[in-house]
Amino acid sequence: MLSSVFLKTLRDRRRGFIYWALGLVAFIAMEVAVYPTVRDNPEFKKLSENYPDAVKSFFGFGGQFDITSGAGFLGIEAFSMIVPLILIFCTVAAGASAIAGEEERGTLDLLLSLPVSRSRCLLEKLAALVVETLALGLVLWTALVIAVPLAKMHVGVGELLAASLLATALALVLGMIALAVGAASGRRGLAIGVSASLAVATYVVNSLASLVGWLEHLQWASPFFYYARSDPLRNGLDVSDLLVLLGIALVAACLAPIAFARRDLSTP
Amino acid sequence: MTAVIRAEGLTKFYGESRGVVDLGFDVEAGEVFGFLGPNGAGKTTTIRLMLDLIRPSVGRLEIFGLDVRKQSVAVRSRTGYLPGDLHLYERLTPREYLRYIAALRGLDGLGEGEALAERFELELERPIKALSKGNRQKVGLVQAFLHRPDLLLLDEPTAGLDPLVQQTFNELLREVVAEGRTVFLSSHILSEVQRLADRVAIIREGSLELLEAVETLRARAFVRVEATFSEPPPQEAFANLPGVRELERHGPVVLLALEGSADPLIKALARYEVLALDSHEADLEDFFLALYRKGASCAE
Repeated sequence: MLSSVFLKTLRDRRRGFIYWALGLVAFIAMEVAVYPTVRDNPEFKKLSENYPDAVKSFFGFGGQFDITSGAGFLGIEAFSMIVPLILIFCTVAAGASAIAGEEERGTLDLLLSLPVSRSRCLLEKLAALVVETLALGLVLWTALVIAVPLAKMHVGVGELLAASLLATALALVLGMIALAVGAASGRRGLAIGVSASLAVATYVVNSLASLVGWLEHLQWASPFFYYARSDPLRNGLDVSDLLVLLGIALVAACLAPIAFARRDLSTP
Repeated sequence: MTAVIRAEGLTKFYGESRGVVDLGFDVEAGEVFGFLGPNGAGKTTTIRLMLDLIRPSVGRLEIFGLDVRKQSVAVRSRTGYLPGDLHLYERLTPREYLRYIAALRGLDGLGEGEALAERFELELERPIKALSKGNRQKVGLVQAFLHRPDLLLLDEPTAGLDPLVQQTFNELLREVVAEGRTVFLSSHILSEVQRLADRVAIIREGSLELLEAVETLRARAFVRVEATFSEPPPQEAFANLPGVRELERHGPVVLLALEGSADPLIKALARYEVLALDSHEADLEDFFLALYRKGASCAE
């Protein structure tokens, strides 16, 4: 595990990754355990139908707001907020620490005194971030594939894959932004701050767009829009939405080495 | 002979603040080049410029005849670097750390690391976070030497090393130079540079003040004498004595620089009541003091 920057980065991240993966699995398990109670109690259906539009808009995921169906429950309870949140936390932490973390700890000077170009160092760290994000997505999908039939939620493996892929791509977008800001500035706190603020702001824009007229014109700029609009838990994968998310991640990934190559490295 | 390092008009500003200004020097193959200056003088800046960690504002810098900016990876593959402010991966053991460094340098195992670790009596299996300052410095030294680099950039290499280990380090440097390899050694300790280097550049507030062979520098060496009198001696008491310069005076305490024979000074001192007399070899600060007191005669 110590033969390349790529493998060393993965090795460094393993502990953090395991915590996030365990959290994700525990959360899915809890949701699945709760679902039968919600499904079998008609009061929940009435209650959720009577929620104000603002609540439905904020906590909904894609299609209709129906908390008693398997797809509706998973969307509202898991995919609308908590699942992307866990994934984003993990990728932003990884992205911010990739360059900026090493720079703030002072280990980057020695690493880049070796015959490793800045762009190669960055690309290996970027590849490690992609692998970690995909692995977390795989954990999510696997947990769902096991748990969903147990609770008789009636959501297909393909639909679960579609939602998991979109969530993974969304997390990759924010992780890449964190990596790019960290590579451009050398400051881990700034990288986390910018990505977290962007995540919150674009989430709010997308959630409230259907209620607030002028936000509707901004919705296209929110990655959450492409993440949720196809209602993947009911309709399966919309490839074009996935490609849009991957495209945004790619733009951030391309900007990172350009910004990193130009500047002076700082010492702690 | 081609220069291993060639700096011309090398200048680095960080925004408004000064890094180094208009440095020009050549380092020849097979020499230990001492780069001497007080903390904050620009020594680390110069070394980081050589490794392309920071970029010059103006000027040229070539190593092995290669541009350090455009051919940085080629330069770095033949260079070993010990940072002045060493930060290691705390969770790794020295063996794991050295294996990583060696792998990124394209070597199997630890390269020369195993032999060097043995020589420095560095324990390879304890996590780095549990190591003392001296042991960390050993890890830093071993990683700088493990690929048998043609050029070593060592920033304050003996910081934290105990005298015995310093001895080993000195021997290692002598071997390296005997093989025709080159050492760029930064330090703020005059005696260390005098002991190890062939030539010395003195840098102060970012500018090169002096570049001389150590032998020449040694000839300029002087003893610092501090005399405390019962009452302040006359202003001209020590003027015009051969080999004596008055450096400073605080009431009855007079600081003098002495070159050559002590006799004229002793005779002069004896004319007054001396309460205390202290003398020692000049350190870097004294050296600067003398350099600047001499003023014009030294600025030629």
